[in-house]
Amino acid sequence: MSAPTLATNEAQQRPGQLGSSRAKNSREGFARALRRNLSAHAFLIGAVLCFAFFSWFPMVREFILAFQKTKGGQTTWAGWSNLTYIFNDPAFWQAWRNTLLFTGLALVFGFAVPFLVAVTLNEFRHGQGYLRMLVYLPVMLPPVASVLLFKYFYDPGYGLFNRVLQILHLPQQQWLQDTHTAMLSVVIAATWMNMGGATLIYLAALQGIPGELYEAAELDGAGLLRKIWHVTIPQTRLILSLMLLMQIIATMQVFTEPFLLTGGEGPEGSTTTVVYLIYQYAFYFNNYGSAAALGLVLLVLLAGFSAAYVRLSRSSED
Amino acid sequence: MTTRTLISPAQLGRTRGKVVYWTVFAVVIAVFTLVFLGPLYWMATGGLKSAQEFVQAPPTSFPKSLHPGNYSQAWRVMDLSHLLLNTLWYAFGALAFQLVFDVAAAYSLSRLRPVFGKLILGMMLATLMIPATVLVVPQYITVLDVPLFHRNLLNSPWVIWLPSVTNAFNIFLLKRFFDSIPGELLDAAAMDGASRLRTLWSVVLPISRPILGVVSIFAVVGVWKDFLWPMLTLPDPGKQTLNVGIYSLASGVPENWLVAALGIASLPTLLIFLLFQRNIMGGLTAGGLKG
Amino acid sequence: MRSSWLRPPRRYAAAVLVSALALTTVAACGTSSSGGGDNSGGGGSADASTPLDPKTKVTLTIDCMPPATKKPELKEWNEDVAAFNKKYPNVTIQGRSTPGQCEEPARFTAAIKAHSQPDVFYTYFTDLQQVLDNNGAEDISAYVTDKTVPALGDIDPNVLGVLKQDGKLYGLPTSNYRMGLLINRKLFTQAGLDPNNPPTTWDEVRTDAKAIAKLGNGIAGYGDYSAANTGGWHFTAAMYGLGGDVVSSDGTKAAFNDDLGKQIVDNLHAMRWDDNSMGQTQLLKWGDLQKQMATDKLGMFLAAPDDITYMVQQLNAKYENFGMGPIPGGKATLFGGNDYMIKKGSSPDKIKAAIAWLNFETLTPGKGTFDYSRRKADGLPVGLPQPAFLTGASKTKDDELKAASATMPVENFKVFMDNPVPGKSEPPKAQEIYKVLDNVMSGVLTNKNADPGKLLSDAEKQVNQVLANG
Repeated sequence: MSAPTLATNEAQQRPGQLGSSRAKNSREGFARALRRNLSAHAFLIGAVLCFAFFSWFPMVREFILAFQKTKGGQTTWAGWSNLTYIFNDPAFWQAWRNTLLFTGLALVFGFAVPFLVAVTLNEFRHGQGYLRMLVYLPVMLPPVASVLLFKYFYDPGYGLFNRVLQILHLPQQQWLQDTHTAMLSVVIAATWMNMGGATLIYLAALQGIPGELYEAAELDGAGLLRKIWHVTIPQTRLILSLMLLMQIIATMQVFTEPFLLTGGEGPEGSTTTVVYLIYQYAFYFNNYGSAAALGLVLLVLLAGFSAAYVRLSRSSED
Repeated sequence: MTTRTLISPAQLGRTRGKVVYWTVFAVVIAVFTLVFLGPLYWMATGGLKSAQEFVQAPPTSFPKSLHPGNYSQAWRVMDLSHLLLNTLWYAFGALAFQLVFDVAAAYSLSRLRPVFGKLILGMMLATLMIPATVLVVPQYITVLDVPLFHRNLLNSPWVIWLPSVTNAFNIFLLKRFFDSIPGELLDAAAMDGASRLRTLWSVVLPISRPILGVVSIFAVVGVWKDFLWPMLTLPDPGKQTLNVGIYSLASGVPENWLVAALGIASLPTLLIFLLFQRNIMGGLTAGGLKG
Repeated sequence: MRSSWLRPPRRYAAAVLVSALALTTVAACGTSSSGGGDNSGGGGSADASTPLDPKTKVTLTIDCMPPATKKPELKEWNEDVAAFNKKYPNVTIQGRSTPGQCEEPARFTAAIKAHSQPDVFYTYFTDLQQVLDNNGAEDISAYVTDKTVPALGDIDPNVLGVLKQDGKLYGLPTSNYRMGLLINRKLFTQAGLDPNNPPTTWDEVRTDAKAIAKLGNGIAGYGDYSAANTGGWHFTAAMYGLGGDVVSSDGTKAAFNDDLGKQIVDNLHAMRWDDNSMGQTQLLKWGDLQKQMATDKLGMFLAAPDDITYMVQQLNAKYENFGMGPIPGGKATLFGGNDYMIKKGSSPDKIKAAIAWLNFETLTPGKGTFDYSRRKADGLPVGLPQPAFLTGASKTKDDELKAASATMPVENFKVFMDNPVPGKSEPPKAQEIYKVLDNVMSGVLTNKNADPGKLLSDAEKQVNQVLANG
């Protein structure tokens, strides 16, 4: 309607957007500003309500629930008892160890493997389309299908993996049934299922690297590894660090894979993750207070981690 | 595709370079085919085996006798068509809600600059740092009795559709794309007296097709792949999604039928993917990076 | 779009309130009627105890309708609904089917919490406390009389006792079981063992398992669960068999960390790792062992008799193939079962219609699920020693009808029937305790170097915490 609402592109991209709009507001007059805001908020309202009900309010509610108890239909304040309950539960510490182990392994596999695959694929002058399609194929499968497939492969009796090891004359493994290899097996399955997305993103990033940089490095006599270290990685650093953050946040909330592969706990609880423990408290033990308390701990840790990460990566950019 | 990459063309031109290139290439092609198509082959043939042969050690690489009946049994007994339709209904409903609400919100945040716009955007983006599963308990309790409305959303499609709108990543992608639209274009529309809705509809959306494609894929795939949330909120077997339905049926049918069911369940998206491969992957990489 | 979103929130609130008030006044005199036939009293109580008026229009949603995977049972269900509607044409029965088990603990907990259970919902005997904690079920004492449920006097009082709290009745049983040892007769014969003489002690189980595992070809002699609460459930059954307990008699402390518990764990360890007679695949849950046994890969496991029905119907096995013996040890056996409860807030008419249906379908010899001649005609197994909650005249009648249409060699269950082991009900907070005990089972079955003492003492600590948490 009115020209001022449609700010020019330059103004949009300036960081001090709020300031500049306030300056304009004073010029456009109250009635116009109100009308502009009304319609702007009308556009926003649907999403904002959804966020309010299903995202922001639950966050607040997590705090409230963590300090409440429900018994016989009566909800009362529980003080710190939910938190002491979870801290006294041996499964709590085990779940954290398992989740961190999963995150660590997932970084080795889920983070490094797609990057190496992308670097390799990017060198090929042939068949890239086919290879990309292959890597992305599992992403399109329903997760239950992929996970159950791996469950069959891991079966120590009739499973495919032990058959392959047998053919190669390697010792057979217990896979999901051994406390030492259970989590690793979960990570391998998860990597197979999910690496497609990351690989494609890395490939796109790699294709944005100017070729002259490699040429310059070669003039300096750099070999393959040094070129990767000094050109490829720095050039894709932004994407890499963003993906690292996403990966860590994603792996901290792993549920589906261990739930379907080992029933959740795994041998002696070795695949019990924090989110599975939340699920167990709430839906097996009917103890929503402790579930919320555990969710709260995870929420606070993740929020703290993200904030620290963003801060660190910002300061390293400057 | 002719851009200069890690290995110099000169190196590749030499005989030794060529040998190494083709060896690596052949190995990668073989290994990738095995790793990514192998399981699918196993799934397709596993569904053709008899129950006894399926659990036989060592596994056979090709069924000794073919039992295509497994597929029809799985289809009938597990009511896969029903599960499939449910999932599509949830996925496309979620897509519609996201396209309407998230596009409107991103447009408003990008172009209409409402008061508190930055704050709202910040609060939305903050949810990216706190994954949904962490909030599963309070979210679950919320949908049991939605505040103010006092509706129980359990077993209704709304329980999938409405929370799917809280997709901050999609809003972020959309907003960034809208930010990059030249202001002159919108100014011109405004000069012609177009309302904001009209500008959004006939100027912004047509040039946003690539990003809308990406967002749509994310929206549909998000519902398609979700497991914990639909498992909790759609307990009625008649309303379950494909993932949850197969999971809850898994212990109730012979293994060979189950594998046949997995094969059938995988087919629709695999077909869509193979047909629209180029568009999907092109859109994903472009959107993920430049969005 | 015809979702709950658009439905008015609590249309029946007023009716509920009235019926609740009526109930509280009725409950006191109504409970005594469960034993005898005393259902006197005027006004409200007469109202509650009169059978459903056939003219009443009611719609009932009911759990656990047989799924499409159980074709003959679904057919019978539909026939029963039609027959029931002849008498009560205005009652609309809307069955909800669940694949696999009718109740899956996590889904059930969520549904009860959400009050999203159907009007007539299926529970295990162990669920009463949880249902009441969440205000989930109606007190039906006043509605259940020998007018509405003629066989009432013949229902095993122990079974009814599980469904009562503070003298109020909350459910009607549909089936119950006593756990025994299920065997694959084919493998027993192949291994040179006598299928008519299943092992009765754990030592014999071990010896026979070893013999069966010798058949090779991936065949396991004995199998057991270790996931999804079923591991803990079987550990409990094994404890009971040896005369032990899982929770102290006052219900405050774990009681399995003793010699008997250790004996069970040691024996499993020996079978799994020394004899290698339990197969390699572990972390199994309900459904997995049945698949193994149905494909002749497993010789024995602890089970309720109706697992045989499951294997025959859903896994295409033959019932001649199976037999049963008493639980090893034979001191006591885990006794459990399932029942239907009626959702809190149902109108009196709904409750009456529900009871009329339950009486017709699951509590009348010769009718509904007890219509053995029809079961036989439909190719369903007849002759299983389950359910077993009827006593007296009803039991005599039921046994006669069963014998008349038996489709399976009843001698396969002779040892089980001839050696009745006293039943023992499941521990308090059963599902939570089972969950903890899963770890003991998965520990010993997946880790060769597991320390039985530590597994048991860790589990003891957790169970004590669960019990202390009220």
